[in-house]
Parts: sequence; C-alpha cells; structure tokens
Amino acid sequence: MSAEEKTLVDRCRQGDDDAWREFVDRFGSKVYSVAYHFTLNREDAEELSQEIFLKTFENLHRYDGTFPLVAWLLSLSRNLCIDRYRRRKREKSFRFVSDDAVLPLLKSDDDPASETLKRERTKLLFWALAEIPEDLAEILVLRDLDGLAYEEIGKALDLPDGTVKSRLFRARAEVAKRIRERHERRGTAGAFQSLALAAGGVL
Amino acid sequence: MTCGEVERLFLAGAPADDLRRHAKGCSSCRALLSDFEKTEEMSAGLAAPALSSSLRSKLIAIPRTTVSCEGAERLLPLAIEGELGADDERRLASHLSRCEGCSEAAAVLYETKELVDPIPPPWLAARLTAARPAREKRFWSWILDPKAAIGLAYGAAVIVMLLGFNPADLARKMSSGQLGQNTRAAVTVAESSLSDRLGALQEKAARTFAVWKGRAGGYGRAAVSNVVSLIWKTSTTKDRSPVERPRNRDGRGALRESETSTTNWRA
Repeated sequence: MSAEEKTLVDRCRQGDDDAWREFVDRFGSKVYSVAYHFTLNREDAEELSQEIFLKTFENLHRYDGTFPLVAWLLSLSRNLCIDRYRRRKREKSFRFVSDDAVLPLLKSDDDPASETLKRERTKLLFWALAEIPEDLAEILVLRDLDGLAYEEIGKALDLPDGTVKSRLFRARAEVAKRIRERHERRGTAGAFQSLALAAGGVL
Repeated sequence: MTCGEVERLFLAGAPADDLRRHAKGCSSCRALLSDFEKTEEMSAGLAAPALSSSLRSKLIAIPRTTVSCEGAERLLPLAIEGELGADDERRLASHLSRCEGCSEAAAVLYETKELVDPIPPPWLAARLTAARPAREKRFWSWILDPKAAIGLAYGAAVIVMLLGFNPADLARKMSSGQLGQNTRAAVTVAESSLSDRLGALQEKAARTFAVWKGRAGGYGRAAVSNVVSLIWKTSTTKDRSPVERPRNRDGRGALRESETSTTNWRA
C-alpha cells in the first residue's frame, strides 16, 4: 500500500494533474471530515481542508513511503487542526453546539423522531468532547468519528499504539462521565434517561 | 474506583465479550464499561460530512496556486533575476507566505543580490583614482615615448648617411633620370664588404678630425694673441693720472691742445 502511495506522491511531485486529482479524491473526504469534527463549522472546515492540502502539496518531497499516507497527511495537519480547535475553544459559544453544526453528521434516511434524538445525542457528545482534555478528545475524534486505525493514529500523533488505546479508553469513559454528571447537576436525570429510552436503551 | 481489569482487557485487545463477562461479576467495572460502550455507540452512528464539489475543485486547483519547496528552489533564482512570469511569481509568493524555511532562504538570496550590486558612495571614484598603482614599464615601452622615437629616427638617419646614403644625391639622381643605373650601383655597393664601408668611414672621420684640428689650432693661436695683447694694454695704462680739465669763464670745461690736434701715426 505504501509503495503504491509513494508512486502516487511521486507522480504528484512531477506535476501530474491526474495524480493530484486522484490524491484529492482519495483523501479529500477524510481530511474534510477530520477538519469538520475539529471545527464544527462548514466554512472553517473548508478553509482548514485547503490549508491542509496546500501544506501537503508543498511538502510532498518529505514523504518517504514508510507511513500510511493518510497518517502522514494528518501528522502534517495536526498542528493546524489543534490550532483551530483551541481557537474554537476560546470562543464563548464553544460549549454551545447548534443544530446546524451537527446536521451534516446525521444520516438522512432516519425518521424524524429518531433524527431528533440523534441530533440531541450528537450535540451532547460534542459538548462532552469540549469538556475533556484535548489530547483525549483528538484521539476519540480520529478513532470513533473518523474511523482511523490505531496504527494510523499512532503514526499521525507520534504515539505508541498502547498509548493511543489507553487514551481512547479514558476518553470514552470521560465523555460518558461528563454527560452523566451534567444531568446529575441539573437534577433532571429524567431527561437523560428519557433520551436513553428514546434511543432504544442505548443510553 | 474500579479494579482496572476492563481497561487492561481493552488494552490487550480482548474481545468485547470478555469485557462484558468480567463486568458481569465486577460491580465497579460494570459502570465503567457501560459508560465506555455508550460513548462508542453515540459516535458510531454518525455520518461523515460530505465534501462539496466546490471545495473539491479548489483542492484540485492547488498546484496552480502554489509551488512545492522543490518548485520554490527552482523558481527562486529566476525570481531574483526578475525573469519570472506573473503566474509563477504569484505561486512562489503564495508558498513563501506559508513556508518559513523557503522564506528565509529567499530573504538571504535577495540580500545577497543586493550585495552584488552595491551603490558606490560618492567619494569612492576619487579615492580609487588616487590609489591607482603605477603601470609597470616593459623593456620596449620606451619606444612609445615621443622623444625617444624622434631620437631613434635621427640616429637611424645618421647611420644611413654615414653608410653612404645621401638623400640629396638621391633626389638629384631621381630628377636626372639616373636612378636605374644608380639603383644597380647601390645594390653593388650593398654587396660590398663591411670592411670597405668601415674603411671609408674611418677615412671620413680622419678628414673631419683634421679639419677640426686645424680649426682648433687657429682658435688656439688667436686666443694666445688676444691674451698677450690684453696683458700689454693693461701694463701700459697703469701709471696714467686723471686729466685735469681747465674751466672757461662760464664754468664749462675746455679741450686741451692735444685733444684738439690731429694725431699723425706715421710721424
């Protein structure tokens, strides 16, 4: 896989437009997905995606084929993503997740009732992600939301697989804990439980 | 507090059933595993946000908006020489605005370019002119001196004349139409031996010396004669007293008798 990806990168370096188009089609959605999960805003995600691809194009000569290409791409863009994430965190409205922000993440074939439930759960998830430390949050985003393999995450973040798994375990537990605590603070555990009931016992 | 077994099993890559089996018998781990699985399921059902066609087009157009670091290496020398097209210049500027390494390299190169063409201070030309070292003279450079050239020409003319060539004679022979015969004679003369020419030269020099010797003798005798005459005149006029002139009634001096009479040298 890496040899084939190295060939693709070499063709891009030589100015092959078809190769670059193939590169964008192969990794564009993944990069945009990561960017969206870090920004929760379409304009910001598009801008971040362009920055990531610009940086990738300008640094193609650094790719030596020893990394999975997507991991290398994310390792290049990690600082850009974290910068955006921190910038968003500094905003007052960071903890408020709007309906519009989670709408692109919902599947359209859901019925209205389950779509409403999913929207609320997703908003709750992103609220909780904002509450936990960012080194845990980024692992959860890359693994559970973007579906990257442990090895790819490890290469992208320069972490051993064991650390990636450990952080993921803690991240999941922390997210659930924050959601539960939120409802306990409000004294309306019923609301959380009703959400769980509406979700068919998932929560 | 949990016993940590669930986390250990997860890190070891154990199947989910093993985790649930442990949690069934461990109350502390049961809540943790429940939280763990709830979060996993919350995020698992989400869709990936769709990449818009406009963003895809922008991403595909990136090679036309910027250059790689390799491209910047190729374009920078041209940019410094001002030989870059507008499109490449824009792409290079876009890259330099983001790439710290290339930007620094470009700054150094532009500064180097400025070092190559400095603006000279106004006093520099005068100082350089004053400090110009003397040109080294070569052994034949004295020929270029006009005085030396004139002297050389005169010397050559004298040598030619001493060897028997007379321009006045040549001009006379040319006017009388004898040049053909004389040319042949000149060739004959040129073929004569060097000793003959030297002999003629010595003879001519001896004649010239004799003339000058005679003249010197004449000048010498004249000089001796003049010296003797001068000595005689000086000795005969030494004891003469100044002349006392009588005064007339009007006070003006009158001539003596000897001064008014005519001298007769024969007498």
